[in-house]
Parts: sequence; C-alpha cells; structure tokens
Amino acid sequence: MTRLNLRNTTIAATVLMSLAGQATAQEVVWWYEQATPDQQELITTLIEDPFAAANPDVDLVIDYRGNELDKQLRVAMLSGSGPDLVYTPGPSYVAPMAQAGQLMPLDDYAAEYGWNDSILPVFLEMGRYDGTLYALPKTYETLGLYYNASLFEENGWEVPGSVEEMETLAGEMLAAGIVPFAAGNSDWRGANEWFVSLALNSVAGPDKVYQALTGEIPWTDPAFVEAIQALEGWWDAGYFGDDYFSINSDDQPAAMLANGDAGMMPSGTWAFQNVAIFFAESEAEPGFTGFPSAEGDPVFPLGVGSTFSIAQTSDNPDSAAKVIDFIFSPDFYGPMNSAWQGEWNIPLADLSGVTMAEDVLPIFTNAMATLASSVDQGNYGYTTWTFLPPATNSLLINGIEEVWLDRTTAEQFLEEIDAEFREEMADGKVPAIPAR
Amino acid sequence: MHSLYVLPTLIINVTIIAIPALLTVTLAFFQWDGISAPEFVGLENFEDLWYDRVFWTALTNNLIWTLIFLTVPVAMGLLAATMMLVARRGSTFFQVVYFLPVIIATAITARIWQGMIYSPVTGINGLLDRYGLEMANPLTQTATALYGIAVVDLWHWWGFLCVIFFAALRQVPAEQVEAARVEGATFWQVLRYVLLPGIRPTITLMLIMTVIWSFLVFDFVFILTQGGPAYSSEVLSTLAYRSAFYDLAVGKAAAVSVVISLFGLCATVFYIRAQAREFEE
Repeated sequence: MTRLNLRNTTIAATVLMSLAGQATAQEVVWWYEQATPDQQELITTLIEDPFAAANPDVDLVIDYRGNELDKQLRVAMLSGSGPDLVYTPGPSYVAPMAQAGQLMPLDDYAAEYGWNDSILPVFLEMGRYDGTLYALPKTYETLGLYYNASLFEENGWEVPGSVEEMETLAGEMLAAGIVPFAAGNSDWRGANEWFVSLALNSVAGPDKVYQALTGEIPWTDPAFVEAIQALEGWWDAGYFGDDYFSINSDDQPAAMLANGDAGMMPSGTWAFQNVAIFFAESEAEPGFTGFPSAEGDPVFPLGVGSTFSIAQTSDNPDSAAKVIDFIFSPDFYGPMNSAWQGEWNIPLADLSGVTMAEDVLPIFTNAMATLASSVDQGNYGYTTWTFLPPATNSLLINGIEEVWLDRTTAEQFLEEIDAEFREEMADGKVPAIPAR
Repeated sequence: MHSLYVLPTLIINVTIIAIPALLTVTLAFFQWDGISAPEFVGLENFEDLWYDRVFWTALTNNLIWTLIFLTVPVAMGLLAATMMLVARRGSTFFQVVYFLPVIIATAITARIWQGMIYSPVTGINGLLDRYGLEMANPLTQTATALYGIAVVDLWHWWGFLCVIFFAALRQVPAEQVEAARVEGATFWQVLRYVLLPGIRPTITLMLIMTVIWSFLVFDFVFILTQGGPAYSSEVLSTLAYRSAFYDLAVGKAAAVSVVISLFGLCATVFYIRAQAREFEE
C-alpha cells in the first residue's frame, strides 16, 4: 500500500467512523434565545463541549433563534415540530403548554436524577401544573437597588434602610442635580414592570401580593392603591429623570450610575454584568442592596427568567433530561456564573460546592447568597413577569405609563388589572403560586 | 387546457393568501391563546374591541397616519418630481438621493433616527441640548410620539413617491407641455392643467395604496415606541401583535386584523371602481 493510499484509506475510515458515530448519537435540539457571539462562545465552551465529552452518545444541537423565540416556540409546539428541550420565557408559559399536553411530565426524571433534593423546593413547586412537574427554572433573579458607593461616600449619604429614607435621599440627590434612579425603557417597555414589582412588594408587601395572586383579595385593595400612588409620586418627583423613555433598559442606566449622573439604579440581578463593565471603566465602587420596604427590611421579589421542559413529541426525552441534569450541577454553576453573571443563577439548594472566579464582583456573590437564603427561608416577594398571567402582565406594563403620564388614576389602573386578572384566573392561566 | 397555466399561481395564492386569510377571519370568532384548543365565542371579540379604548386610540392613530401620508409625502413627491422635470439637469442624481432612504431596511432607519437623531443621550437632539438649544425627544411625549414616528417614515417614504411621479410625468406628451408654454401658461398652470391630469391614474393608484399601507404600518411604530408612551402611538397592527404574542389573545388579534383588512378592502373596491370607470371612458 503506497503512502498516498494509506492516507486516503485513513481519511475514509475516519469519515465513516464519525458518520457512524453521528448516526448512533441521539440528537437533542435546544432552541436558545438571543445571544451575542461572546455569549454563544460561553455556551459552546461551558455547555456543548463538556456535555459532549461526558455524553458521547448524545448530540446536543443548540439553535439560536433570536428575540422572538417565544413566538416561534408556540407555533412549533402547536404543530409538534418544536425542539426536544423546550426553553420557555417563564412559568406563565408553562401552564398553558402543560394544559395542551405539549410537555412531558418530569417527575420520573426528578426522582432519577435527585432534582427533588438538589433544587430549591419553591422552584419545583413553580414548575408544577395540577401536581405534576413540567418545568425547571433555568435562572432565578431578584430586583434590588444598585448604588454608586463612591458617590455616596463623597456626599456622606447612607444606604437607605426604608422607603422613607430612600425618598429623603432621592430628594437630596435631586437637589444636587443627580438623577435618583437610573432607568429607561426605550428598547424594552417591559422594564416598566420592574418598578411596579418593586412598589407592590416594598409598599404593599409580599403577603398582600400573595393574597392577590391567589385570588383572596382584589388588586383594588387599598394597599395596592397606596403602592401605585407611591410609584406615581416617585415619577412625579422626577426620580426617573427626564429621559426615561429615551434611554434603554440595558447598558445606559448602568453607565449613568457608574458615571455618577445617577445615584441609584433599581434593577435586577441580570444587571450585574453591565455594572461590572461600567464601574471598571469609571473606577468607582458599586454597591447593591435589597430594595427597602415600608417596614424597613429589604424585600427580594423573586423572578424566574426562563424554564426548561421536555417536549411531549421528543424522540429522545432521556437524552434531553441528561442535558437538564448537566446544567443543574455545581460544576456548571461556578464557571458559568463567573463568566456570565445574572443569567444562569440555577436554583441549586446547596451552593457550598460552587467555586467562583476571583474577579467576580463580591457584591454579586453576596447578593446571590442572600437571595438563596431568603428564598430558602420563604422570605421573598413576587415579580409580576413570573407570577402574573400574560394579558394582565401586558396591561400592567402599558397601563403604568398611563398612571405616570396622568392619563388614568392609580384606582382605575388597578380596577383594569383586577378585571383582567379575574378573567385569566377563571381560564386557569395564573401560574403556580408557591405557598408562603 | 389553457386554464391549467393558471394552476401554479392559483395554488400559491390559495396556500399563502386565501387559507391564512380565511383562518384569520375564522379565528376572529374564537377565543384562543395560541396553545390550547380554540373556543367559539361568536362576536365577543368584536364586542370587546368596541369597548376597548386602546382599540379606538389605535384606530384614530391609523386615521391620522393615513391623512398625513395622503397629503405630506404626496405633495412633497409631486413638487420634487415636477422640479426635476422642469430642471432636467441633475435629475438622475436627485432621484438617487431621494430614493436612497427607501432601500435602507426600515429597522436600520428606525434605529438610526432613534439613537442618532432623537436620543438626548447619543443623538443630535442631545448635542443641540448641550449647546443650549432645548430639544425634546418627540417619541417620549404622548402628544408628539405618533408624529415623531411619522417623520421617520416620511423621510423613508416620500422619495419612492417622487421617483414614481417623476417616471409618470416623463410619460406626459412633451407636445402638450410645449403647447401650453407657447400659449403662455405659467409653471403652476402647466402643473394644474397639463401635468397632473396626465398622471392622474398614477396619483390615484398611489393614494389608494397609501390608504392600504397606512393601515398596515407596523415596523417603525414597533421599533421606535412599541405603541407607547401610554398607548399614545398605538396603531391597529401593533395592537394585533401585542394581543397575539404578549396577551396570548389570538382571537382578539384576529378581530383587529379583520378590521385592518376591512379598510384595505374599501380602498381596493374604490380602486377597482375607479379603474373600471377609466376603461369605460
């Protein structure tokens, strides 16, 4: 055999072997949302490559579907041609999909992989429909108050411990020509609900929100009227600045805060990545605290960003479950959260085995630890995007602008919210609300 | 046998136009979240729209939009096309310049205006503001949001009308224009009595298409304001989109789509009748 023949034979054998390998590997398709090239690189190096090494019999295919993933997913699931691994935007999507029989029960997998012990129980509850587990949350998040610690030190300001203290501080900031709240919604009107969630949980309180979500009290309860009026008051006083509708909800508020143009930034834990970038540039010191409540103790409204399920029509559900189990491990949590903060806060019950990179902001690690312990102790609030049904949530996002711009009153706004909520509740569209 | 030639077109039309259209009309009578089984509710979706103030805001905005686009870009396009006809020198250059915004993707045009012109942080507005010229972002005020979006669409759109009108004007027999000039007609008289009657079918078609397109406007509104602030720039198509994909109320979205189609249908009927009249003449 000549050298050329030997080389050709080797190449042919390699190609045949790889083709044979592909033919036997079970394909698991996962449609992922929008991701930048850097984020896609992280997914490749931290999910695809190690998963492939550990599971050579499974061919994981991650398909980036952009911002409109939820729309594509719904149509595809309806026609039975969706992905194996169903990645929904949140628990409110899970109930109708489970109701329509599009999702596979995960209880057997939960028992097999020990998810019932490794995942915080509240999140298992949120993934249930009629007592059956259909979804696991990919990430959980909370809203809090970022602040420019250097600016605070410079002006002798203290971190506010109550709503009253926060209002006094905001007044001082306004007098100093500093915007109290760095915030905007020009790219994403949904950002409005971050502030509604904060007002409902910090002024009315999580217990009241729970009662309303379970239908015990109406959304027109005086506690909610007071909360929305407080939010309206913050808007009228100029806490959100003049450019709320002009600046985006993503990097611009973080830049404002880091530059000292704004003193505080009510936002979610997903903002840690931008905070790290802009504070590194401005060389100022960032701070993060829970949003103060009327009583004084900070409130952590709980949110779930996305969920994992397995399609009822999946040809390889066992392999899809392996992918989920791979993600719900401390070995994955550490590297991913070190590189991509706020988006992969997987609800693991025990984070003691997690190792984070040294360059991660300590305030991020502390915030996540505080959130995990608050959730574990049942001390949490409710974000509207996680616990409200879709039409009520959409009404809340757009309706609050009408309150801010004096086109309606807090009472009328809440009456509309209540009517829509009652209708959706009757249709079984309210997501599972974990008992307090 | 010859009728078989229409078969491919017929199949395409039935598959991608007739069936989805019929399904949309049917869905308007159902309550459906896009996931579970649809439930027949009769005229309830239309009844809900009747009492929905956002629907009326959206419809009013569509009517305002139609009025703006029936007048401003048509007048601008006609004027510029006539000027190019009179002063032929450089007309090719100006056609290219005027037409350029039309070929830029609407998403890019919208983002450029939003970020580089209107924004008080990164745009020209912000720059002027820093030099003491107070410039508000029109997209952020309920009274001006719709007009702020309309300006962007006008910038993008009027060049198309201009080029169409210019092409039509060039088809007007030169002898008629020359004869009018020999008779001592002024520029405005030539325009009024020779040029405009000469391109009347083109103007009629453009006006009717403008009505149809005005009720379909979506991209600029959705990218620039998403219908806000406080629903002030909501139009029927953004209402339909939000209903279907955010509220998971597909039946309501279908009902809104039927209303949009009704306006388009009226304009189409008007156009067909106008054409038939012309043939008779």
